[in-house]
Amino acid sequence: MNHGPSKVLSLKGLTKWYGEKLVLDHIDLDVYEGQIIGYIGPNGAGKSTTVKIMLGLETSYSGEVEIFDQNIKKSGVAYKKRIGYVPEAADLYDSLTAREYLTFTGELYGLTADAADYKARLLMSVFELEEVYDARISSYSKGMKQKVLLISSLLHNPDILFLDEPINGLDANSVMVFKEILAQLAAQGKTIFYSSHIMEVVQKISSRILLLNDGKIVADGSFEQLREKNKEGSLEEIFNQLTGFNEHQHLAEDFVQIVQREQL
Amino acid sequence: MKNYQTLKILDLFRKLFEGFEIDYPTMRRMIQVKLTMDGRRPTTIMSQNMGGEKKKDANQFLKSLWFYAFIGLTLIPILFIGDNFMFKMSLIFGVLMFLIMTAMISDFSSVLLDVRDQTVIGTRPVDSRTISAARAIHVTIYLLFLTAAIVVVPLIVGVVQFGVIFGLLFVVTVLFSDLFIVAITALLYYVILKFFGGERLRDIINYVQIGLSFTIVVGYQVLARAFEFQGIEASFEPAWWNIFLPPVWFGAPFAVILNGASGVYDYLFIALALLIPILALWIYLSLLPTFEKNLLKLMDQSGPSKKKTKKGISRLATLLTTSKEEHAFYQFAERMLKNERDLKLKIYPSLGFAIIFPFVFLYNGYSAGQSFESITSGRMYLTIYASMMMIPGIVIMLQYSSKSKGSWIYHVTPIKHYGVIIKGTLKAFLTRLFAPVFIVISILYGLLFGIRIIPDLLIVLLIAIIYSVICFRILKGTLPFSQPFESAGQSDGWKTIPFALLIPVFGGIHFALTYLPFGTWAYLFILLLIVPLTWQKGLQR
Repeated sequence: MNHGPSKVLSLKGLTKWYGEKLVLDHIDLDVYEGQIIGYIGPNGAGKSTTVKIMLGLETSYSGEVEIFDQNIKKSGVAYKKRIGYVPEAADLYDSLTAREYLTFTGELYGLTADAADYKARLLMSVFELEEVYDARISSYSKGMKQKVLLISSLLHNPDILFLDEPINGLDANSVMVFKEILAQLAAQGKTIFYSSHIMEVVQKISSRILLLNDGKIVADGSFEQLREKNKEGSLEEIFNQLTGFNEHQHLAEDFVQIVQREQL
Repeated sequence: MKNYQTLKILDLFRKLFEGFEIDYPTMRRMIQVKLTMDGRRPTTIMSQNMGGEKKKDANQFLKSLWFYAFIGLTLIPILFIGDNFMFKMSLIFGVLMFLIMTAMISDFSSVLLDVRDQTVIGTRPVDSRTISAARAIHVTIYLLFLTAAIVVVPLIVGVVQFGVIFGLLFVVTVLFSDLFIVAITALLYYVILKFFGGERLRDIINYVQIGLSFTIVVGYQVLARAFEFQGIEASFEPAWWNIFLPPVWFGAPFAVILNGASGVYDYLFIALALLIPILALWIYLSLLPTFEKNLLKLMDQSGPSKKKTKKGISRLATLLTTSKEEHAFYQFAERMLKNERDLKLKIYPSLGFAIIFPFVFLYNGYSAGQSFESITSGRMYLTIYASMMMIPGIVIMLQYSSKSKGSWIYHVTPIKHYGVIIKGTLKAFLTRLFAPVFIVISILYGLLFGIRIIPDLLIVLLIAIIYSVICFRILKGTLPFSQPFESAGQSDGWKTIPFALLIPVFGGIHFALTYLPFGTWAYLFILLLIVPLTWQKGLQR
């Protein structure tokens, strides 16, 4: 692969224990630039743990994590300059205004305050949020907060993007804009890690899908490849099949029956 | 964002930080952001006294310092108790360390334990050395401001009275006690987080906040009386068990230098005052990495779910309520009062006062020259009416909740009369909050005045029930737990005044009737008839 896309990220035998519980079980993975990776799996499969490890939030693990050909345990924090991150639980300092928050995070990435402010304002106005730029984030709706998080993750033009349920609370139009942004970023060679429970969106935007179950990668490939292999029509069905879940009908019946019960 | 004066002072030490390979501009920026957020965070003290005044961009933190400065005045009279420095300085450090520690826990733990730092800063290219430095500087700034606010006036008075050496000594010992407090607080968190979950820690912090609010109001009382202590000549000899009282350690240097004391204990205490803070800090710093890891426990909200519905209490609920809906709201209100920390913070201190105030009045009667016997055989038990003074204030708080948006549930469910919501809440309030207070005072009063007051106590109980119904009129039909705390205004306090004025009226009627033969029994009988009536008519919306 001399002229192919270059490798940006590689996990070798990544293993993580939480006490007695094995969360990640020898994960091996290579990721190349320009990929949009749909990172899916049931709750507790180890998705966010993987992301936390790659971001350096979780430091006790065995195995190797290389980002831009450097082992992150040894390279220091500089590699984070080329990473953007949207956390799942909209964690941000919401007593700040969007201007204050975005300028601050921009500066943490090494931008000057003025540059960060200028760029943030432009990006906010694209999302039609210019008027609330100087209002405290605590007064924002869920979708607005999500947009601020997205801007904050992209302000420094990163090469890898980790997104955890990024379209939470966005309206349909914003979702369309957002999907298009991802596609264009990928076309420019950015790598995107997209983790979500909404299978339709993952199926549509991902160029490669990774399915994690019980700390292991149980499927890896484009949607078409997965479909051929598993003979199912949609990503949702493939997900159910590979995670060994086939009792949805049964559970639903139970549920409805209990709802209809008159008295105990 | 403001360029704080504090930061400009910090700039003088820039070279020093850079010598430690700390990314100074980033650290400065982080502290600036943190200070800005501190200014916008309402503090326990302020929220208690200002009734959640509308947020202007005034710095909430700096405003709260005035209160601490005011409380610091309590230290001044202590300075004038006798000549024994060991005694008075130990006392001063006792008060000072208590104040600083509780203030740290109640107002600053949200800063120390801010898990958002993990996602907001931890994921960005900032090395851990800079993050730790920023956190340490932030704590230091907070602590210095707080300490300075409390200490500055007593310090000036002390210097004028005892000279410059006293001043220098005071500054140094105060700094060491600060160091001690930081390390101890952090170690306390460490232990709690290690053995319990984040929920437990939040509970503990909540109780400390309640304690602080309570102590501060009681502190006003003490302040008013502190000057009476002046005549006390304190003798104080150090003893071995003083080793376990950190404030005494910090008093020892004063005893040695200003009183010329030279006992073994004096020197031992000085050594402890110097070494223990440094040792504690060292332990804390070496535990820091594990501490940060345990901090992540705060992120998962789930504690071990404890399911214990006591049989007796749920039977009480069924007994007290008349319909299924009312039963539901009774239980709901009961859980809210038990679980919502912000609500507890506003209400529980008042409960403490409700217990104390009758005794304050009783004591005033005693110190006004009456003999103990004449009090216990008289009608002073009517001071129990003072415990009702808290009812209007608490009732007003019942309309608030930090999760007020959940109140849509009232409107989407097919409730025929909103009266049942209020009835259920009122009953929960009476059984969960008022009854315990009333029972405690009744038992103590029963011991003091004898069983002869039982009918009177029953009258007070019935009056309290009627009075609570009346107080619910303040809410003008606002549903319980349906308003955000931010909407609480200064006017709330004024609204309670006409209702509070009813209490002496009730007390007066009761007092007059005790002079009539069978007056109390007749009154009790009439009240028994009135209570169900008020309950039916008074709570219709």
